[in-house]
Amino acid sequence: MPFPDVRLASRPLHFLYLCDCSGSMAAQGKMQALNEAIRESLPGMVEVARRNPEARLLVRAIRFADGAAWHVERPTPVEELTWQDLGAGGVTAMGEALELAAAALRSPPMEARALPPVLVLISDGQPTDDFDRGLRALMGEPWGRKAVRLAIAMGHDADQEVLQQFIGPLASAPDASGPSPARPLQAGNASALARYIQWASTAVVGAASMPASRPAGMSSGHVPLPDLPPTVLDPADDVGPLVW
Amino acid sequence: MQWILPPGAVFDFEGAGGPVEVVRGLGGGSQGQVYEVEVGGERLALKWFLPACIARDRTLERRLGDCIRTTAPSEDFLWPLALLHPTPACTARLRTRSPGFGYLMELRPEAYVGAHEHLAGRLSISLRNVLRAGFFLADAFGALHLRGLCYRDVSIGNLFLEPGSGRILVCDNDNVGVNGQDPGGVLGTPGFMAPEVLLQQARPGTASDLFSLAVLLFRLLTRHDPLRGQMELAIHCLDEPARRRLYGEDPVFLFDPRDSRNRPDPIEHAAVLVTWPIYPRALQALFEQAFCAGLRDPGRRVRTGQWRSALARCLDARRLCPACGQEIFTEPAADGTGVCWSCGSPVPAGLRLQTPAGPVHAAAENEIHPHHVDPRRPEDLRTPLARVEAHPREPSLLGLRNLSPHRWSVELTSGARVALEPGRTCNLTAAVRIHAPDGPIAVLR
Repeated sequence: MPFPDVRLASRPLHFLYLCDCSGSMAAQGKMQALNEAIRESLPGMVEVARRNPEARLLVRAIRFADGAAWHVERPTPVEELTWQDLGAGGVTAMGEALELAAAALRSPPMEARALPPVLVLISDGQPTDDFDRGLRALMGEPWGRKAVRLAIAMGHDADQEVLQQFIGPLASAPDASGPSPARPLQAGNASALARYIQWASTAVVGAASMPASRPAGMSSGHVPLPDLPPTVLDPADDVGPLVW
Repeated sequence: MQWILPPGAVFDFEGAGGPVEVVRGLGGGSQGQVYEVEVGGERLALKWFLPACIARDRTLERRLGDCIRTTAPSEDFLWPLALLHPTPACTARLRTRSPGFGYLMELRPEAYVGAHEHLAGRLSISLRNVLRAGFFLADAFGALHLRGLCYRDVSIGNLFLEPGSGRILVCDNDNVGVNGQDPGGVLGTPGFMAPEVLLQQARPGTASDLFSLAVLLFRLLTRHDPLRGQMELAIHCLDEPARRRLYGEDPVFLFDPRDSRNRPDPIEHAAVLVTWPIYPRALQALFEQAFCAGLRDPGRRVRTGQWRSALARCLDARRLCPACGQEIFTEPAADGTGVCWSCGSPVPAGLRLQTPAGPVHAAAENEIHPHHVDPRRPEDLRTPLARVEAHPREPSLLGLRNLSPHRWSVELTSGARVALEPGRTCNLTAAVRIHAPDGPIAVLR
């Protein structure tokens, strides 16, 4: 006879992309690179969700340009998600996007009990609206404060300071040389972007749900973040960025 | 996934004894990437460590070398076979700035699936085979500890099950080391770590392995966590500080007889309310010891041998409910009867096989092992001497198949004796006693 049909109790884990869709994202194929990177990351995300029966991984996405709107509004189980292409055009209403995220993280509609949400902000520019108001709204929500907030800067025109404010102040200076998830992740080309998206949607999701084994001496926090992905040398790296 | 070793490439690694062809990438984790490789015509798995992991774990290379020299404690481990270092000639073709090192191990056979599939309820596995998996797990850790080694990172992620047999494989053995020596690279996995390790009052070792083993057994047997009851419901965001409280600062077992603060919630923790009553009191008592006295006092944790004995006895008590067919493991009452945990029907005593080590209920698939006929031997489920089987066309007729290499003699109710050749089955209804070279087995009614 089979084992009784019961399963491990689980909590929802909300994963939210906030994607910059301003006009500049159309340049040098950045918008397509982001669409591809997210699409490419989904099988890995499905696998992480399978391996963590304690978490129900639910994905949403906000796009922002002249205003902010839901790109994926329903908290969607990752195995059901098909990523529709984002298009670029307009300015950078990042503040409005944060307000939209804040409203989604309010309880209700947010469940009373959940795993720490993961927010990933991807931008190539500077906010054109009231960013501070958006950030205040987000940080005014308990789930906003508890969320793991990561930022990916696409290219070199992204406003690093604003992205750092989104992540939160650097608690202690991690070694200043290498990249750190406590600072905006600099994606200088399409392969670096894919690597960071993959990392955020798998390793970080894993850490926020059923944490992986803990290396001795790992810094703690609300959610100890895993190592960034290794820089896998690519022939493209030797000749400088190919795409932008 | 971006692979450090490009698929299709052939490397002359030092330590491999021949060229290593990278067939394909299998997966990657926080420590390294795993590949299927071909070496000397044989398919093996190769784990290549990430530079950050090597930098953090100074004793990794030495520990792996030690493990390879001591060889696997039992066949239940996917043990490191050889340490590989890049030669200067192939360093340039590794897609990383610091070449690092890796190790070879056997490929995991496809029939073995991650134990998380069982917890998620996606695996078709019988209660018998879950109990057998628990036995093999305790047995594997017993063999490891007997060698003076500790695992340090026992968790659901490192365990694989073969649902058809309950056999297991313990993977990711790169944190194994001599107990008490070398700090090792990991503290463990939250949810499985012993409280003293989580609170960083002690380093992981055999005592904390025993705690993690109890958690893993509880999860396999109940599909629930031993410390997540009503006290978890007060936690809104289950983050690191909350886990620290739940598993380290104020851990309370769900069924602690003296502290009822953390009982399962009937809705949120429904699984454990169904599964816990399935198990006999003796097994429940071991979990109480592991998660009450053993929670704070590492010296009072349940030893691997205790788990082995309790799980083996539990399998000996296995009966099938005549009404619903579900598997029953609780000890029968003094009059031999019991009640099915699943449908509530009465379960009659039925036939039992009296061995020198105690009775084994005659239910299809139950087995007689060497430890049953010679109680001095440690419990071992790998080489059964006999198995209870239903008649192929008459399922109500139970027989005992001789799986030993010797001819047995069966004493019948009529007083006559018949020979039972290896591989043949005798009808238990007609048998009084079975004479095997190792000892007699009486049929009790």
